[in-house]
Amino acid sequence: MSRTEVSLARRRLFLRDSAAFLVLALITGALFLVTLFLFRSFTSHRAELAVRWSGRGKDALQAGKPQEAIVALRTGLSYAPGTRSYELLLAQALEDAGRTDEASNYFMNLWVAQPGDGFINLELARLAAKRNDPRDAVKYYRASIYGTWEGDGVVRRREVRLELARYLIAQHNTNAARIELLIAAGNSPSDPKLNRTLADLLVETGDVADGFAFYNKVIEADSKNQAALAGAGRAAYRLGNFATAHSLLERALEAKASPLEKNQTHSGELETMLKNSRRILELRPSGKLRSSERVSRILVDLGIAKKRFSSCAAGFGTTDKLPPALEELNARWASDDVDHGRAKLLQSAARQDAAVQLIYDTEVQTSRICGVAGGDDALLLLLAKSPDTVER
Amino acid sequence: MEANHMTEREPELRATAAISIDQTAAIAPEREERLFLLLSIVIGIISGLLAVSFRMAIEWLNVLLLGSAPKPGQPRLFIIPAIAGVVIAVLTRYVFPKVRGSGVNQTKAALYINNGYISFRTVIGKFMLSALAIGSGHSLGPEDPALQIGAGVASLISRKMGLSRERLRLFAPVGAAAGLAAAFNAPISAILFVIEEVIGRWNASVLGSIVLGAVSSVVVARWFWGSQPMFRIPTVTFDSRELLAYTVLGVFGGIASLIFAKAIGYLRPRLRRQSAWKQMLQPGLAGLLVGGIGYFGLPQVMGAGYEAIDQAMHAQFAWKILLALAIFKIIATTLSFSSGTPGGMFAPTLFIGAMLGASIGAFEKLYFPQLHLAGSLGSYALVGMGVLFAAFLRAPLTSVFMVLEVSGNYSIIVPVILANAIAYVISRTFQPVPVFEMLTIQDGLYLPSMEEQREESELHIEDAMRRAIAPVLEGTDAVAKAMKAVAQYQEMKDGSVLLIHCSDGLWYAATHKELEDIFANVSEADASRWLEERLGKERTPMLFPDLLLASTLPYFKRWPLLPITNRARRGALEGAVSMADVIKRYQAR
Repeated sequence: MSRTEVSLARRRLFLRDSAAFLVLALITGALFLVTLFLFRSFTSHRAELAVRWSGRGKDALQAGKPQEAIVALRTGLSYAPGTRSYELLLAQALEDAGRTDEASNYFMNLWVAQPGDGFINLELARLAAKRNDPRDAVKYYRASIYGTWEGDGVVRRREVRLELARYLIAQHNTNAARIELLIAAGNSPSDPKLNRTLADLLVETGDVADGFAFYNKVIEADSKNQAALAGAGRAAYRLGNFATAHSLLERALEAKASPLEKNQTHSGELETMLKNSRRILELRPSGKLRSSERVSRILVDLGIAKKRFSSCAAGFGTTDKLPPALEELNARWASDDVDHGRAKLLQSAARQDAAVQLIYDTEVQTSRICGVAGGDDALLLLLAKSPDTVER
Repeated sequence: MEANHMTEREPELRATAAISIDQTAAIAPEREERLFLLLSIVIGIISGLLAVSFRMAIEWLNVLLLGSAPKPGQPRLFIIPAIAGVVIAVLTRYVFPKVRGSGVNQTKAALYINNGYISFRTVIGKFMLSALAIGSGHSLGPEDPALQIGAGVASLISRKMGLSRERLRLFAPVGAAAGLAAAFNAPISAILFVIEEVIGRWNASVLGSIVLGAVSSVVVARWFWGSQPMFRIPTVTFDSRELLAYTVLGVFGGIASLIFAKAIGYLRPRLRRQSAWKQMLQPGLAGLLVGGIGYFGLPQVMGAGYEAIDQAMHAQFAWKILLALAIFKIIATTLSFSSGTPGGMFAPTLFIGAMLGASIGAFEKLYFPQLHLAGSLGSYALVGMGVLFAAFLRAPLTSVFMVLEVSGNYSIIVPVILANAIAYVISRTFQPVPVFEMLTIQDGLYLPSMEEQREESELHIEDAMRRAIAPVLEGTDAVAKAMKAVAQYQEMKDGSVLLIHCSDGLWYAATHKELEDIFANVSEADASRWLEERLGKERTPMLFPDLLLASTLPYFKRWPLLPITNRARRGALEGAVSMADVIKRYQAR
């Protein structure tokens, strides 16, 4: 080939290659457009399917059909992988369906991605509680309290703390529960409903005094709050503050909305407590009473206690066989120091106090040795256990 | 067994326009090199678009045929795959006879037997029938068909551009890498897989184009699907105390891959030996059985199973279900693949690995909490995928990079390497022939493989080298002095060799006769000149002990003995080799 021919051939080749690339570019462009059109249609259809199935899952979950919800949510997630709201719903459905292992795994997996998420930690805590794993449960409850929450973080954290307190109470870890409740109380606004919950739970932990204080807060805001009045009445009764208990229990029963409610077992218990507190107030030989009134009560109480002692001692046959505590009581009852005459009692406050002490000691010792008695003896025993608070 | 379905008859290369391919090379010698790179990008883009369309087609068909939420107890779960199997069998037999199998070996066969030729009909058939098979629930994957589709596109374009046969051959792996990269959204893994499994040997000449093609196709795929990897990988954590747990995974992964490979190795040739009409029934029957697995409780094993992999990674299954899924996927894939239904093994392998990994992880977490397993189930599923990939597909390098690429986390590398190595060793010990090689052998083909290369131990010069016992002369000696020295070796025969150490550090190996001839023509004036001046500029080649022994062979035509020198000290003699030494060493193998 001559140089001219080579040059011409090169030019032809260049043109041919250019044309080929142009055709390729056009084919690529056309293919791209077709793919794009199909892809848009494809993705929108998938999105529709995701919404449809997750909606079904949500409905099933709300309708208490977790198995159906699991299938639907899994399908929804296969069309929209990684959608957090669907994932959380699915985890919840697994939990509701009793598939604790799967739910734990799933929540654990979500937790790995978001270890600070309040909701995920809460669910993990609940699952650990279900598995009877208190260590993990408490760990996740605490992580949930200090975790992140969307929107109403303060309220959710408080709710979780209360849930933790309930869990700790159930685990008989009342000290830890009490601390959680006091922290929750310290961080919360004075809301009657919340105060009542705190009061109920504090009483459950054994912190009756703080519980009583929170009931009072509720009553301050709503003096006719029957539940608060009843709770406060019970708390006052347990604290030995029978005068207050009587007043509160009376108000609680008054606040009952209907006669039907009044007949419920719950109010039966309240009525018993009210009756007991009224009787205690009648029996109590308070130092604040007029001397004649006090002596009258002491004489009644002495009669009750003496009877209780006699019946308890009779159980042992002869006086030789009495246990040392009863023997000592027997000696006191027989002693001249204890003259049970009204006149003598009226003459000396010290004698009155000695008589009261004998009554209380008798009730305490006989209950220990002969078992708890009922009726007035039981009420005197209550007085014996909290003689100071009675005066309040 | 016939290899008919694996290979295609290559048509004659057409001379484009008025000039032949040879003439084209003569008038524009650099044209092919430039076109090669440009076309790699175009092939990558088109392969990427086709891979996106392929995946869409599979998912459309899946929803259309099996419904948007296939669940156990739906009769269509076994009716549809069975009908689809029959349709596929008919079309495979009468319309697209070359589309059987995964596509990897077909591409490899095209590369080594037909100069990279894959017909357009095969591309169309592979696209349609694989999409129908996977979409209807056959337990197969889309990656290997995407690889073949990419290779087919590359073959078509390169032929239309009128490139030489050598170039045509190189385009097949470019398209294959592009198709696979787009299907798996992981370019590095695709490149390594094509090198390990398709080309079967490291080839620097094509690497640049493979990278260009793969990257182009992934860019296109990511434009559509987004840049996230194929699987949503949960946070991957690793504590070195967990290595024991991953070791267990490696052992079980090795055993599982062994069972999987043995099952295919047993069933496939038996099914292929059946008569033609029985073979026509096989895809339908496989569909019926695979559908039965779905109908009776495990629809997750149907199709490619990416959703189930995602669910396993995100801890949506308990360990027993995960284990059942792994076992039934092995059964389902063995049935689908052995029946000759077109579709790949890439996705099923990952599925089995993910299920097995997550199952073992969940089991260990549940029953051995003292192992302090901090890693999520996703980590175990991920490592499990790598384990099966390394042990079953015997692509250890790809398996490690695949895990790194899809997780984007390098902290997982230690457990991946450990578990992969254990599984790989188990698989290699009990199944010496890799699965792809086993399939080609079943089809009557013998194609090169990386594994085969690993088995070969190349001999090096040091293996044949002996101490240099030839007399040594200094090139800077005067000719007269050299003559006297040579005269001392009267007993030497003409063919005996003397080594001359020249002033530039190089050597000259001369026969006794050659020196005698030189000395015969020396005048008195020349007697005082350096010996090396009389030898001319030619020197024996610089050879070192670590070079391949075969590299010495071309030099024996000229040199009777080759001095072997030290790489660190120029000219320092380490030994010498003769032709006889080399032949003796090869014969001693």
